[in-house]
Amino acid sequence: MPELDKLQKLWATQPVEPFSLSPEELRQRARKFQASLRMRNITEYLAALLVVGVFGWMAFLIPQPVVKLGAGLIILGALYVSWKLHTYSGANMAHGGDTADSLIRYHRAELVRQREALANVWRWYLLPFLPGALLFVGGVSFAPDTGLPFFVALPGFLFSLAIMGGLAFGIIWLNNRAVRQLDAEIAELDKAAEG
Amino acid sequence: MEHAQDQDALYREAAETFGPAMQRLARATEANAERQRDLVQDMHVAIWRSFAQFDGRCSLRTWVYRVTHNVAASHVAREARRNRGAVTLEAIDQMPDGRSLSADLEQADALERLMAWIRRLKSPDRQIMTLYLEDLSAAEIADITGLTPGAIATRISRLKTHLTKDFQETNNA
Repeated sequence: MPELDKLQKLWATQPVEPFSLSPEELRQRARKFQASLRMRNITEYLAALLVVGVFGWMAFLIPQPVVKLGAGLIILGALYVSWKLHTYSGANMAHGGDTADSLIRYHRAELVRQREALANVWRWYLLPFLPGALLFVGGVSFAPDTGLPFFVALPGFLFSLAIMGGLAFGIIWLNNRAVRQLDAEIAELDKAAEG
Repeated sequence: MEHAQDQDALYREAAETFGPAMQRLARATEANAERQRDLVQDMHVAIWRSFAQFDGRCSLRTWVYRVTHNVAASHVAREARRNRGAVTLEAIDQMPDGRSLSADLEQADALERLMAWIRRLKSPDRQIMTLYLEDLSAAEIADITGLTPGAIATRISRLKTHLTKDFQETNNA
C-alpha cells in the first residue's frame, strides 16, 4: 500500500519543537504532582473535619439523647468514610504507579480500580451515614420541645427522609451508570486482548 | 546518589531518542495545542519517574513506549468528556469526511486530518495505529500493548483498510 508508506513518511517528518527538561525541572514537576495529590487528600479530610465540627457542636447544643446519638453516629460515619478515602488513595498511589506495564494490563487495572470504588460507593460512602442521619432527623422531627403532635411532625420527618433517599438514589444511579460504562470498556479491552 | 544518576542518564537517553515520538503521540492524542504541551511534559516526567524502578523486564525502547502510551491513555480517560466521539474499530465504517489521501498528502492539512482520524479511535486501536506509523513491528507493538502479535497484525490490517477507505471514499465518489 504505497499510500500508507506515504503516511508513515508524513508522520515521521512532522516538525518537532525543541523540548527539554532539566533534572531539577523534572524533580520539581514530580513534587508538584505529589503535592496536588496531597492537596486533594487534605480537602477530603477538611470536609470530614467540617462534618465532625458541625455535628459535634449540635450534639453539644441539642439536649435530646436521640439527636446526640444521631450526631455521634454521623461523626463516626464521616471518620469511616475519611478512612476509606485514605485507603483508596493509598491503593491508588501503590498500584497506579507501574506505568511500564503493558497498555492492556495498565489500562485494565485502572478501570477495575475505578469500578471497584464506584460500585461499592453505597456501602462505604452512603451506608455509614444512614443510622446517624435517621436518628438525627427523627430526633429533631419528634423532639418533645417542638410541641407538635406525632401525626403533625410525621410529614416533616417523611419529607426529610424523601430528600435523603432521593439524594442517595441519585448518587447510586449516577455511579451505577459510570460502572456500566467502565464494564463496557473493560469488556472491550478483554475482547481486544483475546484477539 | 548513583541510582539518581542512573535515572537521570536513562532519562536523557530516552528523551533524546524518543522525544520526537512523544510529541507525535501527544498530537495524535490531544487536539488542543496547550494541552499537547502539558501531555508531553507529563510523558517526560512519567518516564523520568519510571526509571527509578527500571528493572530491565523489557528493552528501553519498549519501556519508553509503554510509559508514554499509558500516560496518553490516562490522559484520554481524564478527558473522556471531550473525547466522547471516540469510536470502536467496528464502528469506524460510518466515519464521515473522506477525501483522497493522495491529494491530501499535498495539502498542508493532511497531517492534521490524519491526527483527527487517529484521535477518534478508541484504545488500543489508537495506540496500535500510532505505533504502526512509528514503524514498529507487530511483535514490538504486541510487547508494548499486551496483545498477541497475531491480534496486532489483524487490527493493523483492518485499520489500514479503514484508513485507506475513509481517505479515498469521496474522491472515488
